[in-house]
Order: sequence, then structure tokens, then C-alpha cells
Amino acid sequence: MVEIPYIFKPRKDTGLCNSKIAIWLFLASEVMLFGGLFSSYIFLRVFSDYPWPERTLPVLPGLINTVILIISSVTVVFAWAALKLRKWSQFQFYMAITLICAAFFMGLKALEYKAKFNHQAARLSDFTVVEGHLGYAKIDKEGRVSKVYHYGDHAEKGHGADHGDDSQGDSHGSDYKEFKHNKIFFKTSEIEVDVTSASGKYVDELIEQAHAAGSKIYLEEEVGAKRSYKDESPLQVGAQGEELSKALIKRAKSVFVSARTANGKLRRDNLSEQWAEAKAEHPDLRGWQIQKEYGVDVDLEAIKDRLVPMKKSLVFKVEPATTFYFKPSWITEGESLSKLKDNTILQGELQDSPMVISIDGLDFQHLVMKAEERQQDPETIIEKSWVLKDENTRQLWEVHKMMVVKLEEKLLEEYGAYKKDDEHGRYQKGDPKRVPTEKDHYRIDWQQIVAYGKALKEGKDISAMTYDEMKELRPGPVAGFTGPNHKTMNEYFPELSIPRNEVRFDSTFTPKWNTYYALYFTITGLHGLHVIGGGIVLGYYMFFGRKMYESNPDWLANRVEVGGLFWHFVDLVWIFLFPILYLM
Amino acid sequence: MSEHHDDHHQQSFLSKYVFSTDHKTIGIQYGITALLFLAFGFYLMMVMRWSIAYPHEPLPDWMSWVFTDGWKARWLQDGKVTGETYNMFGAMHGTIMVFLGIVPLGFGAFGNYVTPLQIGAVDMAFPKLNMMSYWIYAVGGLVMCASFFFESGAAKSGWTNYSPLAAIADSQYVNQWLTGQTLWLIGLVFLISSSLLGSVNFITTIINLRAKGMTWMRLPFFVWAMLVTGFLLLLAFPPLEVAGIMQLVDRLTGSSFFLPSGLYTKTDGILEVSGSGSPLLFQHLFWFLGHPEVYVLLLPAIACVAEIIPPNTRKPLWGYRSMVYAVLVLGFLSFIVWAHHMYLTGMGPVVSTFFQTTTVLISIPSVILLTSLIISLWGGSIRFTMPMIWACAFLPMFGIGGLTGLPLAFNIADMHLHDTYYVIGHFHYVVAPGILFGLFAGIYYWYPKITGRYMSNFLGHLHFWPSLICMNLIFFPMLMQGMAGFHRRWYNGGDAYLDKSGEGVNVFGATVFEHIDLNILMSWGAWIMALAQIPFIINFFGARLFGKKVESDNPWEATTLEWATPTPPGHGNFIEEPSVYRGPYEYSRPDHDQDFYPQWAEPKKKDSPDA
Amino acid sequence: MADSPEAIHKAKKNYIIVFLILMCMTVATVAVATIPALDIGKHGFDTADMILGLLIASFKAGCVMFIFMHLNHEKKLIYFLFGLAIVLALCLYFITKLAFIDPIIFEGFRLGEPK
Repeated sequence: MVEIPYIFKPRKDTGLCNSKIAIWLFLASEVMLFGGLFSSYIFLRVFSDYPWPERTLPVLPGLINTVILIISSVTVVFAWAALKLRKWSQFQFYMAITLICAAFFMGLKALEYKAKFNHQAARLSDFTVVEGHLGYAKIDKEGRVSKVYHYGDHAEKGHGADHGDDSQGDSHGSDYKEFKHNKIFFKTSEIEVDVTSASGKYVDELIEQAHAAGSKIYLEEEVGAKRSYKDESPLQVGAQGEELSKALIKRAKSVFVSARTANGKLRRDNLSEQWAEAKAEHPDLRGWQIQKEYGVDVDLEAIKDRLVPMKKSLVFKVEPATTFYFKPSWITEGESLSKLKDNTILQGELQDSPMVISIDGLDFQHLVMKAEERQQDPETIIEKSWVLKDENTRQLWEVHKMMVVKLEEKLLEEYGAYKKDDEHGRYQKGDPKRVPTEKDHYRIDWQQIVAYGKALKEGKDISAMTYDEMKELRPGPVAGFTGPNHKTMNEYFPELSIPRNEVRFDSTFTPKWNTYYALYFTITGLHGLHVIGGGIVLGYYMFFGRKMYESNPDWLANRVEVGGLFWHFVDLVWIFLFPILYLM
Repeated sequence: MSEHHDDHHQQSFLSKYVFSTDHKTIGIQYGITALLFLAFGFYLMMVMRWSIAYPHEPLPDWMSWVFTDGWKARWLQDGKVTGETYNMFGAMHGTIMVFLGIVPLGFGAFGNYVTPLQIGAVDMAFPKLNMMSYWIYAVGGLVMCASFFFESGAAKSGWTNYSPLAAIADSQYVNQWLTGQTLWLIGLVFLISSSLLGSVNFITTIINLRAKGMTWMRLPFFVWAMLVTGFLLLLAFPPLEVAGIMQLVDRLTGSSFFLPSGLYTKTDGILEVSGSGSPLLFQHLFWFLGHPEVYVLLLPAIACVAEIIPPNTRKPLWGYRSMVYAVLVLGFLSFIVWAHHMYLTGMGPVVSTFFQTTTVLISIPSVILLTSLIISLWGGSIRFTMPMIWACAFLPMFGIGGLTGLPLAFNIADMHLHDTYYVIGHFHYVVAPGILFGLFAGIYYWYPKITGRYMSNFLGHLHFWPSLICMNLIFFPMLMQGMAGFHRRWYNGGDAYLDKSGEGVNVFGATVFEHIDLNILMSWGAWIMALAQIPFIINFFGARLFGKKVESDNPWEATTLEWATPTPPGHGNFIEEPSVYRGPYEYSRPDHDQDFYPQWAEPKKKDSPDA
Repeated sequence: MADSPEAIHKAKKNYIIVFLILMCMTVATVAVATIPALDIGKHGFDTADMILGLLIASFKAGCVMFIFMHLNHEKKLIYFLFGLAIVLALCLYFITKLAFIDPIIFEGFRLGEPK
């Protein structure tokens, strides 16, 4: 009957079966896809205008994942071989290992992602970069913010546990919600909501916080509006004293839209009439000539008795005045007036809104870059940096500077200096062959912070230590498998309370933070989707392929081969991804 | 062995008409969906042309009746088209016409229906994949167009969707997933996936499912064109997918792939983003697809014309071999000319010389194709059937379009012409009276095979002549306006720049004054052209019920394999497996009685061996 | 294509050998990037490290492509298809790079540079 030929048997003149051609065509398009992504990576890195994060990802998870994926590549081809040798259970066995490897890969990836989503970074106003984890806080009915606990404690002891001062009375249990201590606190007594743009999410948040604080958001006066001139009297949109709710906003929006529609129609019809008249009067003139001479416009006098006022916003009173807190991305804050992203306006007073963060990374590279651009001395600018005002951070920086000197000495000792001047003028006689990089000079990563902290705690004589001795104190790749471990090491991470006006830009380690992370998540995310897709296809043949195996084993072998080719390509991409993202 | 013998007797309505895996049904699905999208895109343009011709006047009832009063109150100001609405319509007009209209019609509809027939195959290599391609396209198109009904409206940053504007537009809405710009990007990802699956299917089918005796040089030119189109889609779309995904990540996560540092807007001040992105990178990725895309638009249409001319001149296609090599070279070169769309981005002399050179080079295969088609008419015994009339109109119209492209190839001339109406005139000449006429020709040509009836000649003429005249009335003045300096994307047709006195020292204003009235001529051309499509709609749906029945399975007396099938072709297409004995355009052979010698006709012993 | 049982058994042995090579190369690429003693070029990450890393990755990719994906005994057409994609991807990269590094320079301003 109608059977498509060459599904798995090769055609004589091309020597290929359909699926083989198809999969290589598909892989060709994937080469273009990942080629485009890698090209974009190179361009964005080479032309970036801030220091590109080099070798900042923990390598061990990436290495394990690489090994896992290579193992799965071998097992998938063994599975295909088993099928060709008609060994069904062997095929299932190898395919199962392949799928387990895939699941492990995705699991490890998920761990890596999670660590990044919880890791915070901030660029300060002088371009110092701090990295770390936010503390947790709670707010009481009077708007006082207090620390709940350190990130490390919280992570260990779990949600809801009440630590700290119990004397705040009823400020535990479900009355307060703990939140990450990076919020904008604004005390307000008046909120104006734009009914057309109000976001349900924001309204819910306002209501919830007001409820927790025991305050009311309500309409001071009754709000009424007409939907069109046909309404004899204004409809009641909101009663006096009615509390803020999504239903109220929806009602107000509906009345507003009706009024806008009615007014729009009146104006439109009127303008059409005006034009019709104008054209009848001046049949020889073009439209733009009529407009220039006679300025045709809506005749407001004629319709103003039928136009209805449009109530676009509702003003709510907050009683008593409450301190609300919002994520910085939700709000554009000002001293006495703040605006949320959905155009809600809050009148009141901006409160202290520091970012409370335990530092596990301190990076002056961007500051140095800016200083050099402005032809200022980087060291001087660093000394003036806000973060160094804290004594713990200052101590770490001093230790670090000593260690950089020791690194310089070590490199000079190991590699020596140039014996003569370079003919191209790149170096002179006596210049050391190897010097510490910018990153070595100006970035203290978490492993170093822990090492310095340990040395300080143990009271060692830092100036007597060698560079390698200090390096021994670092936790190493296993202890810090997905990054800084605040559970066990938080004593070494100084806690800073950074005032809001010092924070220029902040974000967790997500695509928003910088282009490197944006690319990291995009490329590994797409790659992960391909792993899942490939896994689904291979899993399908493993679980449901028995029937095909019994009726047409060559067909199944062909399908598995084609699926395997896709799988190998996914491995190929990772072979490039791993060194480029983790090791460069 | 139950998988091998699917009888298809008891197919449900859903599996026969909705989720069909038969390439012919899928081709028709693509065709009708694409024509509907084309009509929608046309309507958007009609509203735009009102704003251009009569910027101060409210949209008249005969155009605005489709909108609700609420929509009009939101998007029109006192009934007048606002700049924002114009931009929205403009961006969607371009997107819909290119991605949802012409490509699915040319490649999806004609490619799917005709290609397996012309190579003698029973269906495409992957029928289920084919069905998925269609449905992914339909869903993607609906997602894009659904955004018209959202608070934010549809995408509004040009069909080219450049960052940073496209990343920032609609960013004031809290829920980014419900904004037109985001939905445009999501729809695009669907469309690209649909194209990729489709192109894999096409290329595999053409390589591996050719009938016995169908060697490469016996393939009809149509199939060669589809093969090259498949490769263009396969290899050029992924970089755009990369750009689309990166822009999507920019919108949804606040990253800065394409946002430079220090970007400032009036409403938000300095944007709170990490910066260091490259808007230029988006443009490179976009146009890497953008240029091959225009050849994806062209090749199916030129393929249709190449199939229609031989049976209607009773002569072989002139220069078949050259045309095949030309289309292959065209396909390859199209990948390395893209930045001629970007001459004004500050490219230095080396790189712009590179692109000027490749762009001028690519005009050579284009000219070879068009010239071969024109020479094919010479000395022919021309039958002015309806398809032939459309095909003959394609030739000069596409010729004008192509020639007007030449100045744009040089960055010196492009400096003056970039972003002017000249460019709009150029590309519309190529696509509208060019490509679209070629595709109409195809519809009229293959309709008898699909339905068993001819389309009405009378309605065909009523469709053709006003369309031809109106096309020229609309697009020729654009070339003039463009050379005078009229910018693209002016929502008021130049009114703001008008030196209303008609005299005075504002030279540009005076130039605008001289050419602005052409807007009225062009807009009326467009609206009248809408009327000219009504006979086509009646013909298209009516002729299968009332049209003149065909006399045979091969009414045009053509030589290619699709005419060897029953009318319409059933499941499996051919009654017995066809064999091919000769080339595709054996017309008026001196050694043969009939004036055409079909590819599938067995040679009689006394005939000379076929060349 | 390997079809007979003997050919497949031989192929399986090859796969194991290639697997071991890949493992060694993976360890090598990490070692070269993390162990200071093996740091070539300047201290820290520099162009030499990048080239070495990409070379090792290309070698690994080659092993996977030619042996696991059977490209070494595949038809010419497949080579052509895949090769075409690689050529075009390289065109995308190099020509775009050319555009980025060749901007218009006017009175000291580098116009058209992607910053």
C-alpha cells in the first residue's frame, strides 16, 4: 500500500536512509544555533565594558557533569550495538544507564542553578562589587525592622523558627513573614492606584502587608463615576471606607473603560462631522491644506455636556501609616513619593533601606577600571571605598594585599626575570616573566576569605606565612562544591549593612547580574532542554520499544541510532561549553 | 506487520482533515491559513495608508467597523490613527506578510502539495512531522496575533524588532508574558521550529524519495528551488532563533544582551541593567536570517513561474542547466550578503567593501534566472491562460523590483536611500507584484489538479488587471518619494515636515510639499486593490463547485510528474509507481508526434534515445 | 556500516578505547586550567590558555564525531551537509567579527563599535 520507502533501509544511489539524512540535517541546524550562541558569547566578552568574570564558577560540578555525559555517550552507543546484536535486555540496561546519567546531569545542574539564584551581588556607587548572601529580617507593626538571623543559621535551622528577642510579643507565628534583607522600606499614609495598570500581584502584596501590620487601606470618600452620558447619576464604584481589593480595582477599571469608550465615540463622531463640514466647504483643498488653514478639531463646546469625567485612579488612605517593604525592582523610591512599577503612587516617607549581606566576595576590578579610565590612582580610590570602613573587611583587604605581594615574590622566584629588553618594547630587562593578574590583585573570592579568616582566627603571623601556606587553608573544591558554603563557614564572612544610596545596582546571580551569567543560563538552559528532549526520545524507545523490536528490530535499531546521534551532539556541545564557561 | 498496512478507510474527520498527515491536505491547510493571514496583513496596511494619506482625519466607518468602540477609544485618538497604533500595525503588517503569509504560502503550501508529486513520491519522508510543522505554524501565528487584544497591544518596534527599542517597548507592564513584544518573540520561536522541521522534511524527501529514473538533472526547476529554499530555512533561521531567545531573556529576566551601558529613557532615567550589551549584535543575527529570508520568499514564486511558462509556450525552459547552477550559487551567496541592510551602522571600509562585492555578485544569478525565464518566451507558441498571464506579469514586475535594488547594494547610494520610501518601493515591487503574482499564477495553475475544475477566466481577469494597475500606482510613486527623501515609518505621511507655505528656505519641507499628494494616489490604489481581490475570493472558493471541469488529468498538457496522477491525487498519489524517462521540459520535440513528451511516458522503440 | 556481530564487537572495543582517551583529555583540560604548574603563557588566563583549551575540546569533539557518531565511515553527502553548516557558522562568526573590528573612525571616534 502506501509505505514510505527507505525509512531505515538505505537507498541504493545515495546509500542513506531517510532518518539518517534527516538527523544530520537537523544537527546542521543545531550547529548554526549553538554557533550563533558561541559567537555571541565571544563578541559580548571581547567588547564588554566591565571586567568579565573569569574562572569564577566552581569547576567540580562541571567536571563531574562532563564525565557523566561522556559515560552516557558510550552507553548509548553500546545500547545501539546491543540492539544490532539482538540482545534486548542488554539494550535496556545500557539505555537505562544513559537515562540515569541524563537525570544525574540535570540534577547537578539544578543544584548549580539553585546556588546561583540564592547568591546575591551588588555594585556599589564607586563600582566596588560585593557578593554574598542576604540576611533575613522581619518587620513589626510599628514598622521596626529587625534581623531574624544570618543566612547561614536560617539555612540550617529551617523556616519559621523564632530566634532573637522574644520580647516583641506577638511578632512571631503567622503575624510576620520573614523576608530577605534587601528591601525598600517606605512608610505611607496615602496610596494612589492607577486602575488601568494596577497589577494583581502588587495589590495582593499591599493587602497582605497591611493585614500583617494590622492597618487598613481604604477609600476615604465614596467614589462614583458615570459610564457614559446615558447614566443619569454616577455609579458607585467604591463605598466610603471600602477596603482595597482586586474586585474594587476591577470595578473601577470597567467603569473607566466604559467612560473612555463613550467619550471616545463622542469625540470621534464629532471630529468626523467637523471634517465632513470642512470638506464640503472647501472641496478644492487637500486635507492638509484644510488642517493648516482651518485647524479642524473636536468641537468641545458641542459635546462637553455629554462627556463624562474618567476616573483613572483611586486614592486610598492607610491607617495607621504603615511601613511597606518592596523588592527594589518593584519600586522607584524617592524621599517623600515612591512609585511602583504598576504606576501605584505612595506618598509618605522613605525609611532606611539597607542591604544586609554576608560578604563572600569582594571585587575592586571594576572600580580599578573606572579609576584608570579617569586617570586616577586605583589604590587611592580603593582606600576610600565604603566597604573598607568596616573593620572586618578592612582586615581581609590588608591580609590580601600582603598575599599579593607574596604571590609576586613567588612568581619571580619560580619563573625568573627577563634577561634583556624586548625588541618590541613589551618588557624591559629585569621585569619579572610572570606577574599576578588584575584578578589576583583586586578580587578576593570566598575561598581566600575563608583562608584569611582562618589564619586570623588561629592567630597566625600572616607576614611570615608563604603564599602556598595560606593557600592550604582554603576549603578546596569538595567543601565548596556549588560555591560558598554559608552553613559551615559563615563565621568567616563579614556582615555588612550597606545603605541604599551606596548601592548602584544589585541582583542575584541570574541573567540580570551581567552578560556572562545571562549567557551561562541561556546556553546551559538550552543545552539542558536538549538533554531533556533527547532523554524523552530515548526513554520512549526503552520503555515502549518492545513491540517494535519484536516486529521490526532493524527499524528500532535505526531509530535508536538516530536518537543516539542526537545524544552525541548534545554531548559535543557540552564538550565545548565546559571549558568555555567554567575554565576560561 | 500491522504498521505497514494502514488502510485509511475509517479515518475520523479529525485525522483526515484537521490532523492529516497527507502532504496534499497539509499543503491546502497551509495555503488557506496563509491566505487568511495575507488578508489580515493587507487590512492592517489599509489602515496605515489612511493615516499616511489623511493623518488628521478620523478613520472612516467603512474601514473601522471591524473594531469595537472600546478598542477604538484605546488605540485611536478622536478616531485618528496615533503614532503608536501606526507602529503597531506597521510592525505586524511586515511580520504577518513575511512570516505568516508568503513563506507558508510559497514553501508550506506549494512546496508541500507539489514537490512529492513532481518527484514521483507517495508522500513526504516524514508525514507526522509535516503535520506538526503545520500546527506549530498555526499556533505560532495565533500567539502573535492574539497580542492585538492585550492591554499592551501587539509588537510595535518594526518587523525587524531591533533592540534596544524592542527590549524596552512594553516593558512598563508588570506581567511581561502578556505583552505584545514578548508574544511576538514566543510566536517567532514557534514559527522557526515549524520551518526547521519543514525544511528537514523537504530536503530528505527530495534527496531520497525521487522516483526511478528521476536523476538530479531531470528534476523540474520547481524542485531545485524548493531544495535550495529548504537549505536556506534550515541554516539561516537558527541565528535568528538565538537573537529571539536572547531578546526574550532580556525582556523576562532583565539581562543586557542587547542593551548598552548607560541607556537613558525619559520615563525611567538611566536603566537599571548591567549594560555592556550590543544592539549591533542583534542586527547581525537578525539579518543573517533576514537576507536568506528574502530568497525564501522569492524562490517558490520563481519556481511556480518556471513551471508555468514551458507548457504555455510549448517550448522547453531556456537555460535549465544555468538556472539550476544559478539557484545553487544564489543560495550559497545569500548567506554572506546580509550587512547590506546595515550600511549605516558605522561599518568601516573593509567590511562594507566585502558586503558590496558579495551583494553585487549575487545579482548575477538573479539576473540569470530572470533572463532565462524571459528568453523562454522567445519564439514560443504562447497560450495566454490565466496562470500564464500572471506569470508574464511577474517577469517585468520582479525585474523592476530587482533593478531598483541595485543602487541599494552600494553603500554610497544607500546612504541617501536607506530607511526611505525607496527601499519600501523596492522590496514591495519584488514581493507584491513580483512574488505574490507568481504565487497567484501557481494557484490558478494547480487549482485544476487539486479540485478537478478550472478557475473562472472572467473572474481571473477581474482579479488581474486592477491588481496589476493598482500595484504600480501604489509602489512606483514610493520610489519617487524615496529618492526625494521621504522616510519610512512616518505615520503622518510627511505632514510634520511639510513646509506648508510651499515656498521658503526649508528645502526638505519643500520637497515633501512636492511629493506629499502622491500619498493620496497610493492609498486609493491600495484600497481599490482590496476590491480587486474579491473576485479572487469568489473564484477560489466557488470554482471548485461551479468551475469548468477539466477534460483530463493533464489539462495544461504539461510534462511534469504531478500531471500523471488522478485528479485529485488520492492517498499514495500515483496509481502505479512512476518511472521517469526524460527531462522535465520536453516540448515540441521534432522527433515526437505530440508537441509535448511527458516525463513518465514510456519511450517507444523507434524514438531516438532521450537526451 | 558495521553490521556483522564481529564488526560490532570490534567497534565496541574501539568505543572503550575512545572513552578512556576522552576521560584523559577531560582531566587534562581541567588540569591545564587549574594547576598553576601547568599554566602556559602568562600567569592566569590568557590567549594561550584559550587556544589550548579549544584545541583539547576540538580533539575531544573530533573523537565523539568521528567514532561515536560513525562519521568516519559515513557517506560523502553527510560530510557535505554537516560541513556546510560548520562553514556557514564560521562565516557568521568571522564576518560579524570583521564588522565589529572595522568601524568607521572619524576624528578619533570609533563609530559603529558595539559599545
